[in-house]
Amino acid sequence: MTIIGALVIFTLIAVIVVQIGRVNDLAAKIRGEEEVMRSGNDATGRWLVVFMVVFLVGCVYSSWHYKDVMLGYGPWEASSEHGKEVDYLFNMTLVFTGIVFVITHILLFWYAYKYRIQQGKKATFFAHDTKLELIWTAIPAVVMAFLVANGLVVWNNVMPDLGPDDAYLEIEATGYQFAWDIRYPGKDGKIGDKDFRLINMANNTLGINFNDPAAMDDAILSGSDVIKLPVDSTIRVKISAKDVLHNFYLPHFRVKMDAVPGMPTYFIFKPTKTTVQMRQELSEYPEWNEPYDPTDPEGPKRWQKFDYELACAELCGKGHYSMRRVLEIVSKEEYDAWAATLPSFYKGNIRGTEADPFRDKLLMDYEIQDRKAELDATVDPLWSKLGSAVRDSSITEESLILKLKYVFFETGSSNLDKLSSHELDYIAGLMKKHPHIRLEVAGHTDNTGDAAANRSLSQSRADSVKASLVAQGIAASRLASNGYGDTKPVESNDAEEGRAKNRRTELKVIK
Amino acid sequence: MEATAFRKEEGSKRLNPQLFALWVGMASMVMLFGAFTSAYIVKQGAGNWLQFSLPFSFYISTLTIIASSFTLHLGYNAFKSLQSDKYKTMLLVSTMLAFVFMVLQYQGWMEMYANGVDMRANVGGSFFYLITGAHAAHVLGGITVLLVTCIYAFTLPMKFSEVRRNKIEMVLHFWHFLGALWIYLFVFLNVIR
Amino acid sequence: MAEIIVKTREESLFEEQGYNDHFHDHHHGDKFKSGFLNHYVFSMDHKVIARQFLITGIIWAIIGASMSIVFRLQLGFPEESLAWLKPILGKWIVVDAEGVGKLSPEFYYALVTMHGTIIVFFVLTAGLSGTFSNLLIPLQVGARDMASPFLNMLSYWFFFMAGVVMFYSLFLSTGPFSGGWVAYPPLSALPQASAGSGTGMTLWLISLTLFVVSVLLGGINYITTVLNLRTKGMSMWRLPLPIWAFFVTAILGLLSFPVLASGFFMLIFDRSLGTSFYLSDIFIGGQALDRVGGSPILYQHLFWFLGHPEVYIIILPAMGIVSEVLSVNSRKPIFGYRAMVYSIMAIGFLSFIVWAHHMFMAGVNPFISNFFVVFTLIIAVPSAVKVFNWITTLYGGSIRLNSANLFAIGFVSMFISGGLTGIFLGNSAIDIQMHDTYFVVAHFHIVMGVAAFFGMFAGVYHWFPKMYQRFMNETLGKIHFWGTLILAYAIFWPMHYLGMAGVPRRYYSFDTFDAFKHFAEMNKFITVAAILSFVVQLIFVVNFFYSIWRGRKMTSKNPYNAATLEWTTPIEPVHGNWPGNIPAVHRWAYDYNKDEREFVPQYEPLKEGEVGDH
Repeated sequence: MTIIGALVIFTLIAVIVVQIGRVNDLAAKIRGEEEVMRSGNDATGRWLVVFMVVFLVGCVYSSWHYKDVMLGYGPWEASSEHGKEVDYLFNMTLVFTGIVFVITHILLFWYAYKYRIQQGKKATFFAHDTKLELIWTAIPAVVMAFLVANGLVVWNNVMPDLGPDDAYLEIEATGYQFAWDIRYPGKDGKIGDKDFRLINMANNTLGINFNDPAAMDDAILSGSDVIKLPVDSTIRVKISAKDVLHNFYLPHFRVKMDAVPGMPTYFIFKPTKTTVQMRQELSEYPEWNEPYDPTDPEGPKRWQKFDYELACAELCGKGHYSMRRVLEIVSKEEYDAWAATLPSFYKGNIRGTEADPFRDKLLMDYEIQDRKAELDATVDPLWSKLGSAVRDSSITEESLILKLKYVFFETGSSNLDKLSSHELDYIAGLMKKHPHIRLEVAGHTDNTGDAAANRSLSQSRADSVKASLVAQGIAASRLASNGYGDTKPVESNDAEEGRAKNRRTELKVIK
Repeated sequence: MEATAFRKEEGSKRLNPQLFALWVGMASMVMLFGAFTSAYIVKQGAGNWLQFSLPFSFYISTLTIIASSFTLHLGYNAFKSLQSDKYKTMLLVSTMLAFVFMVLQYQGWMEMYANGVDMRANVGGSFFYLITGAHAAHVLGGITVLLVTCIYAFTLPMKFSEVRRNKIEMVLHFWHFLGALWIYLFVFLNVIR
Repeated sequence: MAEIIVKTREESLFEEQGYNDHFHDHHHGDKFKSGFLNHYVFSMDHKVIARQFLITGIIWAIIGASMSIVFRLQLGFPEESLAWLKPILGKWIVVDAEGVGKLSPEFYYALVTMHGTIIVFFVLTAGLSGTFSNLLIPLQVGARDMASPFLNMLSYWFFFMAGVVMFYSLFLSTGPFSGGWVAYPPLSALPQASAGSGTGMTLWLISLTLFVVSVLLGGINYITTVLNLRTKGMSMWRLPLPIWAFFVTAILGLLSFPVLASGFFMLIFDRSLGTSFYLSDIFIGGQALDRVGGSPILYQHLFWFLGHPEVYIIILPAMGIVSEVLSVNSRKPIFGYRAMVYSIMAIGFLSFIVWAHHMFMAGVNPFISNFFVVFTLIIAVPSAVKVFNWITTLYGGSIRLNSANLFAIGFVSMFISGGLTGIFLGNSAIDIQMHDTYFVVAHFHIVMGVAAFFGMFAGVYHWFPKMYQRFMNETLGKIHFWGTLILAYAIFWPMHYLGMAGVPRRYYSFDTFDAFKHFAEMNKFITVAAILSFVVQLIFVVNFFYSIWRGRKMTSKNPYNAATLEWTTPIEPVHGNWPGNIPAVHRWAYDYNKDEREFVPQYEPLKEGEVGDH
């Protein structure tokens, strides 16, 4: 029905259009073709001039109306160092092209009007003028050369890669259908290798190669985390893609680079405005003082909710328009503090799982370091406090217990694995530092097997630990050793998880 | 209908517009293979490339296609001098050599495949089959034209006319082109490894 | 009384001085006159083939433009329901619980892709070059027909078949191809990446391969005819500018389309034969693909090696047409004919060495990009020269502002506007920010989607009498001109601001991003202008078809008093174009208002001491 209706309307319009057309033909017959043509020509010429004026005024007016999207002007200043140069080039080009645009349009439409057919006037046989041609070949050539030179200076400053002597923060952005994964380098400042063949959708979606030591401390942001970066620092974004082409685009920073599967790309930039600073600057513009949510006029204003955004700028499928992440530029101090809290992806998600290439290795180097740092942070101050005469009521019974972490026994025996010396020697060192500390070494098991055997094993294991500490020079009188078997579980023995927790050796501070 | 070219003097040697059109068409084919070989060079420079040497069959097929150009040229001359039997013979021989060329190409592919040069496993292999395959596709076109010429040679009474000479000349030029193209590709694939 | 036969001066000259190629000795009782199929369908007459290209181009233009209206509705009025389109578009309109219908995102991308593919290839390449090269080359060089009318006929029918395949792909259940008209892999190579990359892409590739064959067959003919079949006295430097434009365009096509074909073959191999020309390190659909060693950048190089010359293939014929229309309607020679020819050649040559300016942000070694910036900005120089020459052609003229000429003048305006923004984009540092934004969309639409169309319209209005022996209606033509001029600027001018604000192209919706979502009013404005512009084009369509049967009849052979040869053929066209000899030519094509004569046709012999060439 709608289609028939549409066809009927279309036919009616067609008929009307045809009739309009015939009006002029009739007029021509009545008034004489020549005269109709001449007056039509004059009218058309006049309208061309009117169009020219309206058009040029419209262009200028609309530019003024949209001045706030002019690059480098007002609220649309670039927030990066090179971005300012890009904006400057844009505006330089705008000046030259704007002049040409206006002059050529004026001449085009003016000549079309001025030289329209006029009674008694003939056209001039003006076929060529070599000098004129040379002039208007040379001038554009010079202008183009000028624009090229300026443009390439900026290009060759921005695009080439950094060298080994340059200081920068590197992060990695991986695009996929339809989001970005962001990876931070951790303390070593290096992004570890990855390989698409290692990708495991359950626990290693980037395919990070943990055989690369640089990958150990890398942190991966969760999907909703804000990407924080320090102001006034050189950032190198390592850009890659998992499935199809994407593009890493930061509009406020004039940053853009394709993400290509199989070929990592990069972009180097230096942010110059923190998010807070940007919000402050935006608050001065009327359109930024509109409510952020039009349905909530009392709510926060646009400038208050402003955030730098990351978008995809290469068609990647049906979700191309939705690959958004938020960036926040903060002070160097704030960034350092935040980056220090980023958990290592390997340590938190991979270590000990089936994706861990080192799952057969009992003790990693970083674990040794981390454990030492942990002991320094927790045990050292605690033992200091215990040394003072003043009683500190915040010290609980529980906090006196130090559960050994990286002390390994061969299965079913009380022989200590060599690796245990890292932790035990370090604890021995702490005991030497705090001569007033006396410890009970307590061995515990889960409830599998014979209770008496468990008792005996836990006793001999505690004895081994004590012997190891004594061998480091700690007086035997400072150490008691007891085996409690399965009598003191800390968790239910029903599940393996609970049983694993129950199998432990503890050092408790005693009087 | 054929449009005839205007020539300043009557009787001067005319450049047959259809022959010219054929050369223009061959220029576009050159661009196709130029694109393939340029892409080949670029990809090879990027690494991860399988080195291979061309199969023995290709050496024979190169000689075969050169021979077929030679015999076809003899056939063309025979046509011009109205030697009907020689013309027909040379035409047949050339067509048969063309078939032999295709068979040898096929054998060459089988040799390569047996030696582990796979289409999928490595880009080098992919290019090998793509380029030689594209050439073979064009040779099929050439063979079709040769067959049609054979049919006309054997069914029509022998008679010289400019129109016929032009057509046979076009067949000849196209066939020489396919041979020259093959020589270029053969040398290229041998040298750029 | 003996009958006195009065011959016109023209007829006498042709008889005495014309070139007698004995054409009519061979062709009386012409086999061409037999059969409907041979006359109208599989015609080998270049004038019929030209009309076939034109009508097919118009139909595809309507389809391509309709697609743009549908996706502009989504962009301009995202909150409004499109459920009323559901009867036509079926599952591509997704209706939510409140009855509000939206385009599905896959369909949006399919529309955008098809719009680009259809307009760039079917309308602006086949519809523009195919029509006017076919119509004008034999007529303006003085030839009976193309060098190979059989190949010419095939050229049209390969285009037709390409169209059939593409049209069929629109109705697939998985949808037509939706990865952008550039079809970059891996998106276009992997059906897992997008539904449209399945059968839709396969058909897209088949269609365009057929299309490449069509272009090559046409190009071979155009080049050969221009070089080999010019009439007596028609030296290259006496050719009218449209012929130079079509000639260089054909060379561009001949050398660049095979490279596109090579890129397509490799893509077909990657899709169907498991090769890795373009693919490497891909994890998609939950699995790592067994493809290593390929590079998506290789495809981009091969594609843009065609892609850039392609846009000059589109604009050069329009430029040639505009030069002719301006000159004839100003009663003045085109200013700087030689410079115009040299700039056509320069543009043609330079167009081959700028392709990677489409790839500045693709991950190409930035050092290489330096060269492409230099050549890209150099190409602005011959383009500027042409603009200045057109304006100077108007200067001192006696200008008739008919529809054809208005579109020619409008072309110059559009080419200035669109061309100038190219200067921003060609400078790679600026392109960092502008790449893949609406600034690019504004640029190429103004130069191709408007300027090239204006050239095409100018050509249609001007040569309509040659094609159909009638005139199109002038009043409707002027309405068409004013409507399109104003509305086209209304559509595309604001897009510059969107692009400057950083709004990316190929976005189904802007609501996800704070940075992009505050242009709702502007998007509405653009959509309304687009709808109105579409309606105005329908006026052209009605005018065109109505005038074929009921337009004002042509009563004289040379209604515009033009100097070129196409106006010396009889009003009712004949096979072989001239009933007798082909006219011989003595001068260039632009003797207007020379030495007291209003115009001097090319076939007019030179007077004592007269200079006929410039």
